[in-house]
Amino acid sequence: MVQQVPTRRFVCSLDELPPGGMKLVDVGKFGVGVYNVHGALYAIVNYCSHEGAPLCLGLIGGTNESAPQSPDRMRRVRDGQIVRCPWHNWEYDVTTGQNVADPRRRVRTYQVDVSDGEVYLTA
Amino acid sequence: MTTIERVESSTGQEDEIAVTIVDTDVHPLPVSADVLMSYAPAEWVDKIWPTGNAVAPVPHFYDTPDSYKTMSLRLDAAPPNGGIAGSDPDFAAKQLLLDAGVSIATLEPMCDAHLPQAEHVLKSTYNDWLADVWLDKYNWHGRWRGSISVSAQTPEQAAREVERWAGHPYMAQVLMTPQTRGIPFGNPHFDPLYEAAARNGFPVATHLMGQTPFELIPLYPVGNPAHWHDFFASWPLLYVSHLMSLVFDGAFDRHPDLRVVFVEGGFTWAMPVMSRMDRIWEARRGDLPHVRRRPSEYVREHVRFTTQPLEDTDTVGFREYLEMMDLGDNLMFSTDYPHWSYDSPTYAINRFPAEQRERIMRGNATALYGLPATVKALPGER
Amino acid sequence: MTPIIDANVQPHFRYNAEIRRYLPDAHKLRSIPDVEQQWYQAPGGDYRQDLYGENYPGSDPETVSRHLFSQGVDYAILNPLTRGNIADYLLNSRICAAVNDWLLDRWLEPDSTNRFRGTMRVNPEDPKGAVAEIERLATHPKLVQVGVPMQSREPYGKPMFEPIWEAAAAHGLPVAVHINGGNGVDHPPTFAGHAHTYPGYAAFMPLNYFVHLATLIVEGVFGRHPRLKFVFADGGYDILTPLMWRLDTFWLSMRDQTPWVDRYPSEYLPGHVRFCSSAFDGPVDAGKMQRWMDFTGKSDLLMYGSSYPHWSTSTPGVMAEGLDGPQRDKVLWRNASELYGLAVRESAL
Repeated sequence: MVQQVPTRRFVCSLDELPPGGMKLVDVGKFGVGVYNVHGALYAIVNYCSHEGAPLCLGLIGGTNESAPQSPDRMRRVRDGQIVRCPWHNWEYDVTTGQNVADPRRRVRTYQVDVSDGEVYLTA
Repeated sequence: MTTIERVESSTGQEDEIAVTIVDTDVHPLPVSADVLMSYAPAEWVDKIWPTGNAVAPVPHFYDTPDSYKTMSLRLDAAPPNGGIAGSDPDFAAKQLLLDAGVSIATLEPMCDAHLPQAEHVLKSTYNDWLADVWLDKYNWHGRWRGSISVSAQTPEQAAREVERWAGHPYMAQVLMTPQTRGIPFGNPHFDPLYEAAARNGFPVATHLMGQTPFELIPLYPVGNPAHWHDFFASWPLLYVSHLMSLVFDGAFDRHPDLRVVFVEGGFTWAMPVMSRMDRIWEARRGDLPHVRRRPSEYVREHVRFTTQPLEDTDTVGFREYLEMMDLGDNLMFSTDYPHWSYDSPTYAINRFPAEQRERIMRGNATALYGLPATVKALPGER
Repeated sequence: MTPIIDANVQPHFRYNAEIRRYLPDAHKLRSIPDVEQQWYQAPGGDYRQDLYGENYPGSDPETVSRHLFSQGVDYAILNPLTRGNIADYLLNSRICAAVNDWLLDRWLEPDSTNRFRGTMRVNPEDPKGAVAEIERLATHPKLVQVGVPMQSREPYGKPMFEPIWEAAAAHGLPVAVHINGGNGVDHPPTFAGHAHTYPGYAAFMPLNYFVHLATLIVEGVFGRHPRLKFVFADGGYDILTPLMWRLDTFWLSMRDQTPWVDRYPSEYLPGHVRFCSSAFDGPVDAGKMQRWMDFTGKSDLLMYGSSYPHWSTSTPGVMAEGLDGPQRDKVLWRNASELYGLAVRESAL
């Protein structure tokens, strides 16, 4: 398999990627999704480690954690940083690439930086 | 509507590709309620669609992840030109046939109605719609196959419906709900349908039909789970119940040519169920004078299982289990496109023991449905 | 000689009226299903033909003792049937208490061999009464588990039952689920309705345990009660592997609806679940037995149970056929010895 040497690539201006948004960058075999999570930027590969679905086409939102004292025994957390695979709805935290249920299952993450109001992905 | 460009064939030969993957569970939807209703007898329209809305999302009492947004569908399967996933035959062809590499797919619409006669008319209407749209207008490539939907409530009329479609070039099987209002599949109630299906060479497939009307909510013997998670994990026990009835109530003895396909209900349960039935039959032969053969033999001869949803367990152990089970002749690959729990062909093929792969991905379905060895290629497909 | 613990024996009353001796006066004139009543009776009788005699099969402690202990069984766990989930749940609880008192009176207290152990039956439809019965009997040294029926109109993971499991776990008592006799107000026994043949019923009925198990996991009951153990005493453990694979697979998709499930569902099995064997489980080909038992770690979960005096009564030799040495030990005595705290004879170790 031919490995691409990671290169720092211009994605878009920060204005074009507001909080809650995602930009799909055509790089590598599957592409990479760049996310703005409340002002911080993250990137994950657009390929679910389960069956190869286009992960970044899934809904981005939060998830639920156990809260025994609340009437429904749960609370909403990690708003804006959890993507659900559009196929089996597996939850991945875009800030770490880890599957929420089983953190040993992960997807590749990439470096994103902002310079002069411009978003750059290293992939 | 997206259109897949029809390939003008001059010689015919170079347009054909080998059939390698048969998908035995795909769900088409009418593009609108009006379109569907146009196939129904006028006097039934108001009775079956009193709100005039046949294709609105139905309530999910057991709801799948984020179903308010996803409606149990793959989010990436929404047609770019609009409409709900599964309503655009050419976009489905692009995603399933072209992108995923499926050669032939069996279409299984889902519908139910509360009253027997209305349900029979509704199922017939779906058959007319399916045959006209998916099996004719959008089937220049000949790669869609269809199911003859019938009502479990009206077996005599179901038999006549089967006769109506006998000989159709693309109808491949009969389709009936497993939610049969307390009547197991082996009951003589279904004999007229099985007789017609077997005589015309149509397997009888069954697939979850939904959670409405009221009496279709499956009531589990020890009560119902609270979540889709354990509800659907337990769902195969409905198929187990029907299979045990088919065997022990003598349906396979009454209908030696009947073939039954259990869709989307798993298949790894077949191994323990076969041995359980064999042991009880050996111990209680006297109770079953009408069951002439060992139960596991009936399963091997009469029953097929579709593979989706594949279990996510370690590959080595899974393949070992399938080798032990030795049902390589009885499994048929399926995707469940465009539903969310879709299995991709590339993922699936790797899950099976090497020597079972060809049969599961192609051979068994080809033999069961009498499918060709080659099909027309789509533009860009080789 | 390998020790043997028989984890599933059903003792019976000698005759129908016997239970009335143990009922309070307020209920002595109530109708109660007979000893042999079952919704689905096996043609020719539910019990071994050779055991029908002057009194009901399995009703004489000496006979049962001779049939089990003289054949090499070290301990037998007695799990009596009650009379079904009859509509009057308070009467049902009194029936359970009557059965428990009878068990102590006739089987456990006079037992000079000290090899019988027992199950205290409670009625899940009366959670307060069930907890009270557990508190009443929990300290009796010969009652080693709580017993509930397989039949239920709600699966055991649902919240109304949780106080019962909490009480059982607090006393270190496993909860055994076993198909009950009698005539309860039950749902049809299969997912597709009523069976028309006895084999159609008998083959399917034990498999209903899976819905109890799945709800105990998914509703978080096992998560909230680390000491709680359930014993599914009618077998059906073969189908555990395919269905747990399914439960594990969908956990990754469904976790956010039940976020208290913080591990793969199958990870709850070793700490919380045991099975008794039955005559209908296991591969027909004994050569496959070892590998079969390794899937889902079943050899750590399974305990030999004869189902004496049922027509399908099995024997240790047949049940253990095809198992390797360590698997045999686990299934024939070690798993039960650990679960019930039963010391086996040193000479056998």
